[in-house]
Amino acid sequence: MGDEKKVDEVVDARGLYCPGPLMELIKTIQLKPVGTILSVLSTDEGSVKDIPAWLQKVGQEHVGTQKKEGYWDVTVRKVK
Amino acid sequence: MDKISIVLASDEFEKLQAAAMMASVAAVSGMEVNVFVTMAAMACFVKERVDRKEFQKVGEVGRKVLEKKAPLYADLLSQGKMMGGMKVYACSLALDLIEKPLSEMVPVFDDVVGVATFLGIAEGGQVMFI
Repeated sequence: MGDEKKVDEVVDARGLYCPGPLMELIKTIQLKPVGTILSVLSTDEGSVKDIPAWLQKVGQEHVGTQKKEGYWDVTVRKVK
Repeated sequence: MDKISIVLASDEFEKLQAAAMMASVAAVSGMEVNVFVTMAAMACFVKERVDRKEFQKVGEVGRKVLEKKAPLYADLLSQGKMMGGMKVYACSLALDLIEKPLSEMVPVFDDVVGVATFLGIAEGGQVMFI
């Protein structure tokens, strides 16, 4: 899913503990314009569930999650 | 807007960690968060002790937090404050009891208030007591 879209910004949060990847995403997403596609890389499995939950709560879009070699790639679109 | 108020009264390291994590994630999720630090928890916010990582009550999981250098409760609270709607209050009685001014605490506090003020702030929302 994430592959079809051009990723504008990669947030490499690999090695961070929960809620580190979510916090890194928030820091970045705040600075980006609407329409930006961000890819969060996380080695923390909890964050892979937590990021979509946060996106739903704040009304941003979860484009998809892909399992890579030893980490996950959570793709997000800033819609507002 | 959802509102959650957390009374942080414990000096157990893991409880401080869990409370700070709940508070910061709630704050960045668009909730209004109010944290009231009181009683035993107050001593865990003395800047000198936090800087030296002098924690009295650390269990098995807490030791892992320190070993793995995960962010500490004071940092999690600062982060939540920077990125969301969180206010942290110091209990005036607890500060008096440990005989320390606010300036010797980690810089996360917005104000020093009493219980009556905090109850007013918390009114109408959920309250968690930790």
